[in-house]
Amino acid sequence: MTKAPGRSENAHGRDGTVSVVVPVKDGERYLQELLAALAREGVAEVLVIDSGSRDRSLEIARSAGVEVLEIAPEEFAHGRTRNLGAERTSGDLICFLTQDATPRRGWLAAYREAFELDARVGAAYGPHLPREDTSPMIARELTQFFAGFAPDGRPVVQRAGDPTFLSNVNACYARACWEEIRFRDIAYSEDQAFGADMLAAGWSKVYHPGAAVLHAHDYGAAEFMRRYFDEYRGLRDSTGHVEPFHVLATARYVREAMAGDLRWMAEHGMGRNERARWAVRAAVHHGGRRVFSALGSRADKVPSRLRSALSLEGRDEAVAATLNGSGAAGPDDGSQADALPLLPPGEHIDQMLQRDDYEVIARIWREGPAALADPVPGMADRERLRLAMVIPPFTQGSGGHNTLFQIFSRLERRGHACSVWLADYHGHMRDVWPAVLRHDINEFFASFNGPVYKGFDSWQGADVAIATGWQTVHAMLGLDGCRARAYVVNDHEPEFYAASTERVLAEDTYRQGLHCVAASPWLRDLLIDRYGASADAFQLGVDGNTYRPLPVERRTDTVIYYARHATPRRAVPIGLMALAELHRRRPDVRIILFGTDKPLHAAFPYEHLGVLTPRQLARLYAEATAGLCLSLTNFSLMPKEMLACGLPCVELAGVSAESIFGEDGPLDLAPLEPHALADALEQLIVDRERSARRSREGVEFVASHTWDHATDEVEAGLRHALRVREPRPATSS
Amino acid sequence: MDATHVEQGKTDSDSELERLRAQVATLEAELVEVQARANAAVAEWQDRAYWLDRLHVDLNALMRRPGANQLRLALKAARAVWWRLKQVKRHLFGP
Repeated sequence: MTKAPGRSENAHGRDGTVSVVVPVKDGERYLQELLAALAREGVAEVLVIDSGSRDRSLEIARSAGVEVLEIAPEEFAHGRTRNLGAERTSGDLICFLTQDATPRRGWLAAYREAFELDARVGAAYGPHLPREDTSPMIARELTQFFAGFAPDGRPVVQRAGDPTFLSNVNACYARACWEEIRFRDIAYSEDQAFGADMLAAGWSKVYHPGAAVLHAHDYGAAEFMRRYFDEYRGLRDSTGHVEPFHVLATARYVREAMAGDLRWMAEHGMGRNERARWAVRAAVHHGGRRVFSALGSRADKVPSRLRSALSLEGRDEAVAATLNGSGAAGPDDGSQADALPLLPPGEHIDQMLQRDDYEVIARIWREGPAALADPVPGMADRERLRLAMVIPPFTQGSGGHNTLFQIFSRLERRGHACSVWLADYHGHMRDVWPAVLRHDINEFFASFNGPVYKGFDSWQGADVAIATGWQTVHAMLGLDGCRARAYVVNDHEPEFYAASTERVLAEDTYRQGLHCVAASPWLRDLLIDRYGASADAFQLGVDGNTYRPLPVERRTDTVIYYARHATPRRAVPIGLMALAELHRRRPDVRIILFGTDKPLHAAFPYEHLGVLTPRQLARLYAEATAGLCLSLTNFSLMPKEMLACGLPCVELAGVSAESIFGEDGPLDLAPLEPHALADALEQLIVDRERSARRSREGVEFVASHTWDHATDEVEAGLRHALRVREPRPATSS
Repeated sequence: MDATHVEQGKTDSDSELERLRAQVATLEAELVEVQARANAAVAEWQDRAYWLDRLHVDLNALMRRPGANQLRLALKAARAVWWRLKQVKRHLFGP
């Protein structure tokens, strides 16, 4: 081995000495030419690592006066052997060439220039030019592939996020970078893995068009395909890449690639006959490559013997022998590595989302809410307000949305300028366009004459921006031009979730300083006590045109149950146990379940009515004897609608109903226990006088619970949100 | 400055304040009115666009496609010919 003469350090602290490492096996064809080119370029230190050549390779290397290191063929591995070469040389820059890559004039100067372009350049690589006898397909591909890295023909610095491509056919490494990253001890594609690892570690690399080599891929068709099998198996091992394969796409690719080849051949002056001959070869070449690269990506699924036959190197193992991380166990750590469990190859997953679902929330946490607009004296008492309601996605039958639109449509009729804005983090309604949203709101809930927007691109500001569910709060907090913000809370939504992100986010909404307008006194008190929120309450209204006593004879043997199993807060398993107990005591009682599409499994016979329209519900309530409707969170509208139709009803004690009906109101309350619920229902069936009294009291009680009254309360809450923002008049001293 | 002048100054300041408050109230009412009209205009447009939105048809995007405008002009010309023929027929044979 000849040592390079000492050189002065360059601008980036490198001394500029260069070593070249050439792994060789039976490489006599181009080796002499290669070594002569290195001598011409002025490379002082050249190391040839021979892994069992049976041709004149060793003789050629020795006669050229370069250092030769012989290793056993079974010791060779692309990453391990190159690490060995780097360790056995001393240059500040380490170049790797394959035995069939001949440097062109200016090669070394180009590499030196590449490492001057940036202080963090850890590697550089140059183009592989076709030799005279290279097939047109390969020649075109090589030329076009490398031209893509530097369209203007000048060197390009590549950093994290740029292509990770690196090829040890012709590459040069800064020793400091190699020492930090090292080649992974993998069977193939160690250069690609290095490229990815070094960029991830903050190094940059340079593609320099001047650092060119002549390089031949003069394989026959079968050899070429087997080589692709090996290469894509290696790529899967090193980067997790799995080559997709579709028959039609492959056919399209072959057609387009052949057309490209024929064009290229014509441009390079090839005759018609020659082009026709190559066209057949090109079809086999491109088609075979797609098939064999896909097979190589899935080598672990190919039977062992077939795998060995398909591999040019005769390898039959499914994946690489070891999968060390970058800079982990070195080539001599084999015994230690064997004792460690192997990691499976990581599967590369492309970016699937433009942004995370909850990015809106993260932004509010990071940057805080948008500033509110300046208050105007007297704004809380203006007759007409600009109200903007932000809603979550909906479906037909959504009770919460019905409440919102019953109220909002009435606010609109009172002269307020109302608009609706859909916040849809998860894209549940991505296929529903705004005019359809508006139409559906009118069809499903209540008449609304204002505009409906998806997203906030057209946001215009408002006197009060109104959030209406936990999913809407953070989006609303990001809107500017608002004089006040309010939060209409239909239920304590954290209780809809087990321990989860959603539960935490829902709880967070109550701590954002919004003035809440809660759908019951119970909920209002909870928001104040648990979260320290400021809150008013409103009472859910009942549509008196639909839910009222009807001229229908009331039966004396029928219990109806709102068995909405899909909503866990409805405690359906306990309700079913209560009805089973009632059936055991009174088998003659007729039991009807409704509110769910599919019949439920129950320990008693019953009639299943499915999901009913409001008018059908009113009819059912008018003829039933007793109703059962449970809620583990805020009180729902349904028991009120039952009462409005004169139907006595049983609800849970100790949750939220007492805050509306009192301890001894028109509603029968029972603890969450099947026998106690059965007792309450049985009393309403047996005690006719009690049942009649409950029916009468219920109708009287609910009569004042109208949507107009609910709208009064919500409007007062919205004005309250404005009022707390108004400047207080100065007190005279 | 005597007490009369002080009282007079306070009265002027109060009336100016009242005038400004009234002006703010008027501007606020105008703002709401403008917003209400804008809302009504957008809502009316959404009413008209219902079937386009339901069918996911963006007419602007459709008409930007190559040949779309030529097709429209061809249909318009064909319609003009058709109407002209009907007119001639009415003229010759009566309605």
